[in-house]
Order: sequence, then C-alpha cells, then structure tokens
Amino acid sequence: MADLRINLAGIKSPNPFWLASAPPTNSGYQVQRAFEAGWGGAVWKTLGDPILNVSSRFAAVSFNGQRVAGFNNIELITDRPLEVNLKEIYETKKRFPDHAIIASLMVEPKQEKWHEIVKRVEDTGVDGLELNFGCPHGMAERGMGSASGQVPELVERQTYWVKEAAKTPVIVKLTPNITDITSTAEAAVKGGADAVSMINTINSLAGVDIDTWNTIPHVGGKGAHGGYCGPAVKPIALHMVGECARNPRIPIPISGIGGISNWQNAVEFMLMGATGVQVCTAAMHHGFRIVEDMIEGLNNYLDDKGISSVMDIVGKSVPKYSDWGNLDLNYNITARINQDVCIECNKCYIACEDTSHQCIDRLVDSNGVSFLKVREEDCVGCNLCSIVCPVDGAIDMVEVPNDLPPMTWNERQAALGLLNGTAEKVVKS
Amino acid sequence: MSEHQQYVLEREQIDDLLQKGYKIKKVIESLSGDIVQFEQDSNTEEEPTKEILLILTPNARKYFSVKLIEQAQGNVQL
Repeated sequence: MADLRINLAGIKSPNPFWLASAPPTNSGYQVQRAFEAGWGGAVWKTLGDPILNVSSRFAAVSFNGQRVAGFNNIELITDRPLEVNLKEIYETKKRFPDHAIIASLMVEPKQEKWHEIVKRVEDTGVDGLELNFGCPHGMAERGMGSASGQVPELVERQTYWVKEAAKTPVIVKLTPNITDITSTAEAAVKGGADAVSMINTINSLAGVDIDTWNTIPHVGGKGAHGGYCGPAVKPIALHMVGECARNPRIPIPISGIGGISNWQNAVEFMLMGATGVQVCTAAMHHGFRIVEDMIEGLNNYLDDKGISSVMDIVGKSVPKYSDWGNLDLNYNITARINQDVCIECNKCYIACEDTSHQCIDRLVDSNGVSFLKVREEDCVGCNLCSIVCPVDGAIDMVEVPNDLPPMTWNERQAALGLLNGTAEKVVKS
Repeated sequence: MSEHQQYVLEREQIDDLLQKGYKIKKVIESLSGDIVQFEQDSNTEEEPTKEILLILTPNARKYFSVKLIEQAQGNVQL
C-alpha cells in the first residue's frame, strides 16, 4: 500500500483528491458525505457576500454519445450567509480533523474586505484559504473573480492583503481566461502566495437551441456566458499547470484542476507538477463515490511502479515539457499498418489523403485482396491515421532511425544567425 | 516526383558541393524556400567560386542546417 498522503504548502490531506470549490462543496452535509466516501480534502464553495442566483444554471455538452464531455455553469458563489457556512465548516473540521478543508474566498478588491473575511474564516479552523480570482461569470461583472484575476497587479495586491491577515496557507486560484497564465501566477508569488491552483472555468456558451433560438442554458429566454469545465478542458488545464511548473519564477506548489475524472488524469496532473488535484465535474456527473476507484487506481499504479509515496511522482514529467524550439527536428516516426488487425475501413486512408500528407496507398495483392500500406518515406509521422483508426493495434507509430544528429529549431536558427551575422535578429524573428 | 525523391535530389546536390570543398557562406530564408550560397575557397587571388542552391523540401532544409552546424563546429562529416 503506497502512501497517498500529500502536503501542499503545509496543507496535509490523506490523499491527493480534493473536491473543488463548486456546488459539491456548498454545505457541511455534502462535504461530510464526501469525506465519508474518501475524499482527502474539500475546497468549500466560495464564501463572500451572499449572492442571488438564477434558475437554470447548468448545461452540458455531449459529444457522440459521451455525456458531459464539457460542463457549463452560470451559478455564482455561495448564496448562504457567512455565519451558516462558518458554523458548518467548524463542525465538519471537528468531525474530520485529518481531512483538509480549504475555504474559497471572494470579496471586492479592498484591503479591509479581505482582512475581515480572512479573520472570520480562519477562526473556524480551516487548513487553508483559496482566493477565487477565476470565476468568469456574474461576479466578474462586479469586478471580482476573473475580472481581478486577469490583472497581475490586482492579483499581487490582493494576495498581499490576504497574507497580511492570514495565518494559514494561501492558495491563489487562477483564471485560464488570459493569454499567459504564468503572468498572474508570478504575480501571486510576488504577493506572497503559498500555492496556486488552476484552472478555474473558461468563458463559454454551451450552445444555442436551433428550434427556439434560445441560448443553452437560458433564463426566461435570455442567456449569459458561463464557465466551462469537465473533460473537454483537461488539455488546456494540463498545459497551464505545466507552464507554471516549469517556470522558475513560480517556485510554489500547484493544485491541479480541470477535467480530472479518474486516477489516470490525476497522475498526469501530478507528473506535470501538481502536488494534488481538485475535482468537480466528475463528481457532479457520477457522485462522490468515484473517489473509491481513484484511490484504488492510484494506489495500484504506485505499487506497480514500486513507488512508495505519491509525492514522489510530483513533477516527474516537467523536465520533458519544453518549448517547440527545443524539440528535435530530426526525430522521426512513421505509421505502420498491421495487416492482421486492420479491418480496411479506410478511415486512415481518407484522413491521410484528404487532410494530411497523402502517404497511404490502397493496393491489391496477387490474390486480388485489397490492403492499405504506408509509404514510409513520405510519412511525416503526424499520427492522424492512428488517431482516427477505430481498431486498437491496427496502426503503430514507430521510431525511424535517422542518420542525422539531433537538431532543434533554436540550434538551427542560432547557426544561421552566426553565419549571416544576424544572430540576435534571427533568433528573435 | 514525390517530395521524398525531391529531398534525395536536393541532399545529393548539397553533398556534391560539400564534397568538392564548398562551404556554406550564406543562407537567405524566403517564402520560396531557403537560398543557400556555397563558396569554395581558392588558393589564388581569384574570387572564390560560388554556387547557389534553392532548397525547397523541409528535409533538405534540415539537412543543410545539420551540415551548417557541423561546419560551424569545424567538424564537417560526409
């Protein structure tokens, strides 16, 4: 049995699976049931001035039979008085002292507002604070959430104000609705953050009803943009985690969020630098008990790898994540079709012929039997054929030896710059 | 002619010049491909002999780049 305990900036939890600040952590009843199911921590649904919500709040994007491939919401932060939440946080922490409870906070960007809520929340015994600089809908129109999270100066200043008052670790939750998330992550570091979490939801409109012409969701015939999450956003979140993890100016732990639906996703985020993960959509789709499979799967994975502690995998893939300019231009792979497995559906042929590099031939053998074959010398190794292939094992992407040594774009451009006497200009262009 | 065949042809042209003692002196990257200027140093006071190749295929552009790096390292290998 591997040790699944994590320590994220001083916040300890029995496993790396936390519920993210969202509807599943709205109340003590829910969080306590989550802890009973096995969740290691919970980030309480964002506390602040109680808001008013609308009816019709969620929408999901299904794709080819996959329910909830993406999830959109226009629900705001807690609509319950602070005292009610604080009482339930206190009771929950008392009942589950070894589980992590982090309070998500959002107030106006004013020093006294932050000081007040930090002091009142910390009195409940929370293990940490998470500053919600990420919600893109509703609250952003009032200058909070992603509106302040998109401005590095505001992130730094508000983090600093919180740190003035806080005694527990402060996690800054970042919005992905920004060109470069490292700029706001660096601002959080400058403000004194103990950790960052990412990503919050992405600006979105789930759909338009082509019969009624209403938005999805709509509130009495009118809609507004929401926040998108769920499996569809995982690649975006993973990239942002990786970008922060490999940035030396962001030397603080990361709590990974964004489409994490199973233990494998959690491992990916941790390998890419997250110390722990937060989950929302998967729990909303399947219930709290999904954490049982997550814990079992993660434990088995670590045991199979001979790894004694989950903390030992944190960041192991980060050195493998770099800039395009550092990739080897002379590394080659090619597609190989396994004739024994191929069902000759021609998906690969059509994909390659119509939208890629026209390097799959449809041939007929001496017995008149048709088959597909890759012209390896023309294959650029794009992977498209293996991506569209419906049969596992029908197409392998295999390494091809190259007689040329490794060479990156950056190395090439540096050599050209030296040759032409325009090194700086060429490298920058 | 397939792109691979064109690459082989361009690579042979590059190798041919390098084997004759030419060195890459200038590269101009353009919308039409890379214009690679080769020069062969002469032992006399005559102007060095110049040859210019327009390299079109991506693999040949990688190939001359490798040769350029080797040339810069004083380690031309053919």
